[in-house]
Amino acid sequence: MIDVKNISKTFKGHSTEVKALVNVTAKVDKGEVVVVLGPSGSGKSTFIRCLNYLNVADEGSIVIDGIDILDPKTDINKVRAEVGMVFQSFNLFPHKTVLENVTLAPMVVRKKSKEDAKKKGMELLEKVGILDKADVYPDQLSGGQQQRVAIARALAMEPKVMLFDEPTSALDPEMVGEVLDVMKNLAREGMTMVVVSHEMGFAREVADRVVFMDEGAVVEVGTPEHFFTNPTHERTKLFLSQIL
Amino acid sequence: MGSQLLANRLKDRNYYYVWVGVFFLIIISILLSLYFSARQIDYTWRWYRIPKYFAYQEQVEITSETDGEVESISKKGKEAVVRIKGLEGVESHAVPASALVVEEGDQIYYGDRLAAYKKWRVGILMQGLWLTLKVSIIAIVFGILIGLFTGIARISSNPALKWSAITYIELIRGSPLLVQIFIWYFVLGTLLNNLLATHGIDQIPALWFGVAALACFTGAYVAEMVRAGIQSIHRGQTEAARSLGMTYVKSMQHVILPQALRRILPPLAGQFISLIKDSSLLGIIAIRELTKATREVVTTSLQPFELWFVCALLYLVLTFSLSMLLQYLERRQFAV
Repeated sequence: MIDVKNISKTFKGHSTEVKALVNVTAKVDKGEVVVVLGPSGSGKSTFIRCLNYLNVADEGSIVIDGIDILDPKTDINKVRAEVGMVFQSFNLFPHKTVLENVTLAPMVVRKKSKEDAKKKGMELLEKVGILDKADVYPDQLSGGQQQRVAIARALAMEPKVMLFDEPTSALDPEMVGEVLDVMKNLAREGMTMVVVSHEMGFAREVADRVVFMDEGAVVEVGTPEHFFTNPTHERTKLFLSQIL
Repeated sequence: MGSQLLANRLKDRNYYYVWVGVFFLIIISILLSLYFSARQIDYTWRWYRIPKYFAYQEQVEITSETDGEVESISKKGKEAVVRIKGLEGVESHAVPASALVVEEGDQIYYGDRLAAYKKWRVGILMQGLWLTLKVSIIAIVFGILIGLFTGIARISSNPALKWSAITYIELIRGSPLLVQIFIWYFVLGTLLNNLLATHGIDQIPALWFGVAALACFTGAYVAEMVRAGIQSIHRGQTEAARSLGMTYVKSMQHVILPQALRRILPPLAGQFISLIKDSSLLGIIAIRELTKATREVVTTSLQPFELWFVCALLYLVLTFSLSMLLQYLERRQFAV
């Protein structure tokens, strides 16, 4: 489904250079849930943003569902329509109601009729447990509710893959659970997911594979079991000892 | 303790009324000093002369163009048709029934009155006010369009678009509007009208060069506001829209611009109010807007004091209504 080979990314400032990604290779199969872990600044957010072309990898190749997204001839909008993205800061459209947030892209990008988009939108809002808020504006929702709407918004495009960029990091602790529950349900339904997260419990429970990154490079890849109980690399052990 | 608070409050309230009194004292003394200094130069205030410049009644007379006899008067609703049988055939006039001064069988000579009535006419100040309003509205509409386009071009990564936008904005903001109006009328206007004349096409009237000058002037300022408005929208909004597969244009149209325009509504209102006031400069290229109209009335009526106050007041009416309208829009948009 997703095949990343040797991508690198360097952010250039006026006098600084930050190597965010160094020779990263990773693979995500259809239906698989991959959780990317790592200390802050390890490049995991840059990695997931590269998958959606929000950051552009300097070199290497990224193939999603058979399409090379770094190929200049690729219409990135078509690829993005198939790849859902959930952001740390939700990024809901504040001038649109919850339902309008969910129906906008299907209508504009997929040219769905208003009725169809609405019907699908209501289904999704019900799925994420927020149907009663369909007609309110995002600023009247709690963080957890907003993030669930953001997930519904991404799902409305009926994507083949969902990318989650630290979806619970901006939430108050008591709201983390409701968002993780929605994500767990999605995983159970067989959605292909890449999740950048600090939620060890989620990784242990839901992930098929865990990718551990540090200083822009993939350090270790393995099943959660292997990763949490029997990590091979010193760096991984250190990280786990700090976090658990 | 309690009585202390009460005393303080009373004192505050007294202070408040004292300063309210001071305010009215200032206003009244300004008005009085104006009045008495006008008396010093023997100025006679004639406010009653002002209304006729807004609207006046014109005497209309319908006269016969032949000698003869009134053959028939047929009334149809409020209209009456007078038929006069003369030596050279029959002549008919349609007149308002209530204004008739002849009857059937009357002998009529050339130039006799058949009907006389009064008709309301729009006065020159009203015409000027209307022209100012018209010019301002057209210039605002085009100013918004130019501003939107230029503002987006200004933040484009395409150097042709970006540098054109910067050049335009800097040129316009760096020179006086008066000079720009002259350039539009005396330079561009002459060139364009000459070109049209050689091709046998009608000339473009001064009004349109005035509107163009105002619209381009406003467009440059609106462009900077649009740019700032777009840049003030968090980058996450664009990312969210683009990540859903929307193109740049679609994300601008549905996500960024609606939010940006909302944010820049207050400064836009200020800009449009400036535009209404700046339209007073158009008088210098013979467009008879409110200020020019007032100047003309002043020379005929010799009542400059009243007229200039009225002129200012009319501008205030326009700008105040616009500011109310935009405040209403702002409130309605933010009502969630």
